[in-house]
Amino acid sequence: MPLLVKVRSLLRNLFLSRRVDADLDREVHAHLEMLIAENIRAGMPPQEAQRAARIELGGVEQVKEQVRDSRTGAFLDSLLQDFRFALRQLRRSPGFALTAVLILALGIAANVIVFGVLQALVLRSLDVPHADRVMTLQPKDGGPFVSNPEMRDVRDSNTVFSAVADYEFQDFGLEANGVTRPVWGAEVSGQYFEVVGIKPFLGRLLRRDDDDHPGASEVAVISWSAWQSDFGADANIVGTTVRIDKHPYTIVGVTPEGFHGTEKIAQLDIFVPTSNEASLDGFNWLESRSYRNLFSVVRLKDGVTATQVQAELNTIAARLARQYPKDEEGLALKLARPGMIGDFMGGPVRGFLAGVMGLAGIVLLAACANLGSLFAARTADRAKEIAIRMALGSSRWRILRQLLVESFVISILGGAWACGLAWMALTGLASWHPPTRYPMKFFVLPQPSLILMAFLISVAAGVVFGVMPLRQIFKTDPNETIKSGIQSVAGRRWALRDVLLAAQIALCCVTVTAAFVSLRGLGKAMTMDLGFNPKNALLTQFDLSQAAYTGDAADHFQRQLLERVSQIPGVDAVGYANTTPLSGDTLVSAVFSQQSADFRPSNSAFYGYNFDISPGYLTAAGTPLRAGRDVSFTDTAKTPPVAIVNQEFARRLFHTDQAVGRYFKNRDGVSIQIVGIVPDGKYFILSEDPEAAAFFPISQKVSTSTALVVRTQRDTADMVAAIRGVVLELDRAVPIRDLGPWNTQLALSFFPIQVATVALGLFGAFGLLLSIAGTFGLASYTVSKRLRELSIRVALGAQAKQILSAALGRMLILLASGSAVGLLLGVAASRLLSVIVYQASAQDPFVLAAVALTLLLTGSLSVAGPVRRVLHADPATLLREQ
Amino acid sequence: MSPEPTSLLQGTLDLLILKSLIAGEMHGLGVSRRIQQITGGTFVVKPGSLFPALHRMEEEGWISSFWGDSENNRRAKYYRLCKAGLKQLEVETKRWSRITGAIAQVLEAS
Repeated sequence: MPLLVKVRSLLRNLFLSRRVDADLDREVHAHLEMLIAENIRAGMPPQEAQRAARIELGGVEQVKEQVRDSRTGAFLDSLLQDFRFALRQLRRSPGFALTAVLILALGIAANVIVFGVLQALVLRSLDVPHADRVMTLQPKDGGPFVSNPEMRDVRDSNTVFSAVADYEFQDFGLEANGVTRPVWGAEVSGQYFEVVGIKPFLGRLLRRDDDDHPGASEVAVISWSAWQSDFGADANIVGTTVRIDKHPYTIVGVTPEGFHGTEKIAQLDIFVPTSNEASLDGFNWLESRSYRNLFSVVRLKDGVTATQVQAELNTIAARLARQYPKDEEGLALKLARPGMIGDFMGGPVRGFLAGVMGLAGIVLLAACANLGSLFAARTADRAKEIAIRMALGSSRWRILRQLLVESFVISILGGAWACGLAWMALTGLASWHPPTRYPMKFFVLPQPSLILMAFLISVAAGVVFGVMPLRQIFKTDPNETIKSGIQSVAGRRWALRDVLLAAQIALCCVTVTAAFVSLRGLGKAMTMDLGFNPKNALLTQFDLSQAAYTGDAADHFQRQLLERVSQIPGVDAVGYANTTPLSGDTLVSAVFSQQSADFRPSNSAFYGYNFDISPGYLTAAGTPLRAGRDVSFTDTAKTPPVAIVNQEFARRLFHTDQAVGRYFKNRDGVSIQIVGIVPDGKYFILSEDPEAAAFFPISQKVSTSTALVVRTQRDTADMVAAIRGVVLELDRAVPIRDLGPWNTQLALSFFPIQVATVALGLFGAFGLLLSIAGTFGLASYTVSKRLRELSIRVALGAQAKQILSAALGRMLILLASGSAVGLLLGVAASRLLSVIVYQASAQDPFVLAAVALTLLLTGSLSVAGPVRRVLHADPATLLREQ
Repeated sequence: MSPEPTSLLQGTLDLLILKSLIAGEMHGLGVSRRIQQITGGTFVVKPGSLFPALHRMEEEGWISSFWGDSENNRRAKYYRLCKAGLKQLEVETKRWSRITGAIAQVLEAS
């Protein structure tokens, strides 16, 4: 019953507030009347009676306010009032409101977007049941790769994993409905789907018995998205036969929606057992311990700890090293988080995202500092209003709350905008295919949790800049303020907003420095000597094994292709190789000196990149021959093995470039004569140190993987069509996976640095924008407050220089000190950048000069307006006006 | 020699208002004067405390209000005790007897 009464009161207070208020007003007035009447009855003269009554009552408005405060829902009611008032205030100064909301929206959006990516790539585990038990195994140092026999040994001799599997990415030539297209998938070992632990959407997944001996089965599982897009969501798909690399495979199942393999940034569409490796790849790595090109995934048994796992891995690795010293010497395995190409990209990605998150935080802080100083300035302008409200019975807390509500309205509006922006950006990112032939895809679709994130950030931001004017409110003395009007600003002490401006400029300076450092790095990377020239060259890639070519047939095909393409008019040079530098699938092998007799890895001189090339490839690639000769088709399996090496190779082995005619040995102990020297280049990633590389005649070791390089001055589109025509004329079944300008296909190499530059550039621009807005805002505020004083000075004969230093001297000190601190911070932070951005150095005088110049320019730009206003002020008019 | 008005102890105001309303319906000033009278001028309730308390108690459902004519024919808002208010008065009275009893014991003990 009492609850009911209370609810009724609440509803009445909220919805009939006008009537309730009128009632209260009448009641208090009636009370006053009765007090007066009482006093008159006691014999006071009427005026005295009224005065005494008023004193006893203590102010009609105050009493009413006290009653209102004690009502049920008073808090809610006044909050609503504050809210309405805040909206009114913002409508009254739409310019301020729009700027504030926009600044916040950008700041919050930056954070939400980066957080969304961070969540997708780092925080969220793989989308499989009990993902916390799924890990990857990788060598303690070096890349993420393991070999098939190693994983088989771990699988068969451990007690800590419930399942162990390895897999290799493959692009398959999938023939369905008479068309062959390249489709990315994986060869997976028998326990792969036990590790993953998902339930099939249709049919069954791959089992151990599909993979227990070479050629065990010819079955395939396709992904849900491939089922949708390539097979028209055919409900009778299970049991259908398709051809993969010309071999018939039976589709036995479809994975559930959302499963895209065990990599976070790749979409795999087809899964086949490793048992058919021999027929798929053209060569067989199932039994090779030295072919470390597989990723592993394992599922830990329940209750097993990481320490137990590591102990057992150490035992197994030690045993393997003893058993197979030639291949496994020094083997050491460790557990790592799965999903980022094993954990290969995990470190850099986590580092980069943490750095960007930091920058996003800085930008948001700067935005808050900016809004904080705007708010503080506005509050100073509203001193009189605040004083009047206090005089009318409002408490300081109530006024503060009203200001806070105002900042919340702004920050929530900003947060809502930010949500929209982030949503668009993340959706765009999720549907974007990076410029690569790899099946890269960012699974960063916006999650509802991001709304919560945006809301939390907005509230935090709102509080941060909302409480800035706190001190101003609490020291307001209504009596003084109303009497003296707005205090003169001349000679005021350093206020919070000054500090805020300096801090904000320092923060913005950090983002600007970061942007310039990465821009400079990008510029350097773009003009870097790659050791080959991707300009005016076309690259065609395909794998003949996908059209069932092996050995001599592949060799024959390639030579025919070379001849036909060289006859196309406009072709300046043409050649082919098994793979090209920076393509991502370059191989490394151990190099031994000619005197070696012990071919264990630890005895190798160094590791070098391997390429198998045809005659003419070097010319087509734009790699000049420094000494010696090119490879030739007369180098065959029957003639002595030869190689062309780069200068780094020669220097490491012989400490001189003069290496033509000398010998080295490979891991099989075969002596190879060096017949040519080429300059150094980049082979795996742009940021690598000079690496050794060797180029072998492809005629001595046939490869089905083909990268045809054509150098031409002719129009790209014509040439692309001509080359495609030649390939298809030779064999229609060859699935071309890439054909286009080499530059475009190199895009992946430049991708990280471009992403970094774009991200940091955006932050830099935003930072700059903020600092301009902040400086301009405070400068014009200062000037407008002091215009009267300044014009008196002008009238009394002050010079322009004196006026400027009086008006904006402090601003300049703030600008200079903020910039200096920011520049130092930026330089310190930029060291972190050089990890991602190749050749980025903050000590670069060019960068320092550019940052300083930019700050100087924007600084002067933003105070230029106010300066003009001061200098052109006409004292006579001004003094008359006020 | 009228004693200095004592500031109200926490929680006393509700009790005093409820107790005064036992005598019958009353307007704000009536309640105020009644309290002054029964406490012999010890407690003077200012409108700034009285009205918030009255409104709060009304919202609790302890008292109800209506507009009526005052002794000299002015419109005034009157308050009367409800059933819930009577119960509340009992509760408050018990609480106070307990407190005063305890305080008395303390004073006797020394």
